[in-house]
Amino acid sequence: MKHAKSVGVSAKQRKFHNNLTAYLFCVPWAIGFLCFTLFPIIFMLQVSLTNRKLNGISNFIGFANYINMFHSDSFWNSFKVTIFFTVITMIITTIWAMILAMLLNYKQRLNGIFQFFYFLPSVIPSVALAYAFRTIFGKDAGLLNALISMITGSNVAVNWLYDSHTVYLAVFFITLFTYNTGQMMLIFRSGLNDVPRELYEASDIDGASAFWKFRTVTLPMISPVVLFNAVTGCISALNGSFALLYPLAGENGDPNRMTQVLSLLIYKEAFSNMKVGYASALSVVLFLLACCFGILIFIVSKKTVYYEN
Amino acid sequence: MCGRVLIMKKRILAAFLSLTVVSSVLAGCSSSVASSSGSAADMKSAANVAASSKSSRGDKVTLTVWNEPDSNDDLNMYLQAKKATGITVDVTVIPESDYSSKLNQMISTGDSSADIYVVWENDLRNFAQSNGIIPLDDYLKKSSIKTDDFIGAVSKLSEGLGHTYGLPWCAATELLYYNRDMFKAANISLPTNDWSYANFLAAAKKLTQKGKVYGCTLPNTQTWWAGIGGAGDQIYDPSNGYMVIGDGAVSFVTDCYNMVKAGVMPAPSSDTADLFAAGKAAMSWQGSWTIGTYADKLNFDWDIATLPVNKVKYNTLHTGFYTINSKSKNKDAAFKVIEYLMGEEGQTINSKSSGNPSAIKSIADEGAWKVDGAKTIKNWNAVTDSLAAGTFGYVCLPSGVTNNAVSEFNAALQGQKTPKKAVEKASQYAKETIGY
Repeated sequence: MKHAKSVGVSAKQRKFHNNLTAYLFCVPWAIGFLCFTLFPIIFMLQVSLTNRKLNGISNFIGFANYINMFHSDSFWNSFKVTIFFTVITMIITTIWAMILAMLLNYKQRLNGIFQFFYFLPSVIPSVALAYAFRTIFGKDAGLLNALISMITGSNVAVNWLYDSHTVYLAVFFITLFTYNTGQMMLIFRSGLNDVPRELYEASDIDGASAFWKFRTVTLPMISPVVLFNAVTGCISALNGSFALLYPLAGENGDPNRMTQVLSLLIYKEAFSNMKVGYASALSVVLFLLACCFGILIFIVSKKTVYYEN
Repeated sequence: MCGRVLIMKKRILAAFLSLTVVSSVLAGCSSSVASSSGSAADMKSAANVAASSKSSRGDKVTLTVWNEPDSNDDLNMYLQAKKATGITVDVTVIPESDYSSKLNQMISTGDSSADIYVVWENDLRNFAQSNGIIPLDDYLKKSSIKTDDFIGAVSKLSEGLGHTYGLPWCAATELLYYNRDMFKAANISLPTNDWSYANFLAAAKKLTQKGKVYGCTLPNTQTWWAGIGGAGDQIYDPSNGYMVIGDGAVSFVTDCYNMVKAGVMPAPSSDTADLFAAGKAAMSWQGSWTIGTYADKLNFDWDIATLPVNKVKYNTLHTGFYTINSKSKNKDAAFKVIEYLMGEEGQTINSKSSGNPSAIKSIADEGAWKVDGAKTIKNWNAVTDSLAAGTFGYVCLPSGVTNNAVSEFNAALQGQKTPKKAVEKASQYAKETIGY
């Protein structure tokens, strides 16, 4: 009895010690999360209720920042541009990454070199990429206009980044070369490799066309990967838009605020106008927008994503 | 047994990792650290280090500024300040694009690393009100700095603050730069210091060679306001700090729109090339500091004039104010350095290096700001005339407001909105922002 009791206590103690060890290993991450993620979010919420300026002067003003925001023309413009930019970037980068992955999926010679060149632009930092394309898309001194002029024999001076008809074309073209697109391509490639060959063979026997095979076999089988890439694409567009758009369009999102996403407006309000309180309120809205996008994607995925189990 | 040893090792590792993370977080969040433990010898050594560092700190001040000191030692005013005062001036260069926001953050966190801030016009009032900088009145009473000899606009800027918080390091202005060769080739009389705006518009049109040369470059973020002020708008109301633009802005934006449409001015674009320096534009409105940049580097004959006179002779003055950080531990040494920099020698060196006149009239009259290399310039009076007519206008407004307004004006030049709408939008945004 005594022996059985001591064995029971020892097992309980062992379990407790094991759990303690596990929690201790989680502590470093938890401290990091608390200090560098949770605390800044709570601090941001608190500052959004003040009229804090960059020089530190701050008074509590309740929800005045939010009220002013919802009456502000600049905010609504940025809100619309952010949604537009995020949705379009997510769609075109996902499609482009899938196309590249499918091209790489063909068994051909020098596949590794193709993969290297497809991925190479993605390792360039967004800011450097943006400045490089700013030079390419320049009006009077741009490389693209010079190339077109050379080919056509006439003086072409398209104002790619300042003309309302061409700015979105230029900006979305540049998003195809960002790190996120390259990363998506690799993930798609991995997903495509996992599609069972037998399904394609069965489709061939049934006489399915390439498009039909893609639609009924490839797409459903890689739908979890598409969901993952859509979510990361969305987050990347929301978070990474600043590094791309600031060098191209400045804090005002020229031309005519057409590229002034919320992250640019936050930067402008915080660091040019010194309105840290108002910028924090804008950040809260951006945070909620990101949450909404994530929730929406997961709701849509319930009907469209196929899981084998 | 082995299992127990393994579990023990894991616990020790987990505890060590947690301790490391906690320590690094605490170290990152801490401000200054005073060492107070150790042996008697260690304490004595620490006291010696503290004493020597105090004395060496007293012989050294840190100054923040947005441009690099002159590479020529004779024209490096900070190096010369050291020779004159025995105090080393450690210059911290902060990029211009981040300068104001960085200084604001330093004030907000009570940063004591810098002793002297060179503060922009729109920050002087903010820093004074948040007690980030100290009044200099007591120091000035015992000083030789000629505060009664400042140009009028400088004295006006300090009104309403109650005390003198900063001393102007120079007085830069805005000028018309023109290509003399192009004017002679087109047989147009050269611009003078009372050249009318109508003459400017006519000359710009005549000098344009479509597809090759523009009559004038587009106004930049500074000279937009010179055009708007010249058209009669107040721009900055010092009584309440608001932006005041209206019919003058509409008129000037409309003129620029017409010139862009006619090919006399280039359309706004992402190109950053200097068309005037490249010989692709006959005229340009720019800051006086560009004289030093151009000097003898342009391969054509060029000169300067005051900006053309529209309804009012107007240009914006630009300066920075030497101020003392309220958290500085070397205030006396900091003022000694400022006293040198504001003296005849310091101001003369600054003028020679930057090409900007001193804000002290008697020193400016000596003409040290005339850049030696700019041998083609005959009309040096343009600088002094511009100074006399200059005012601190848009520079007293938040940069986000003025940059937003320029963005609206550029949208009007592209035909994306009417000039009137652009001015309305700019004013609306300014109202939302100023007085926050």
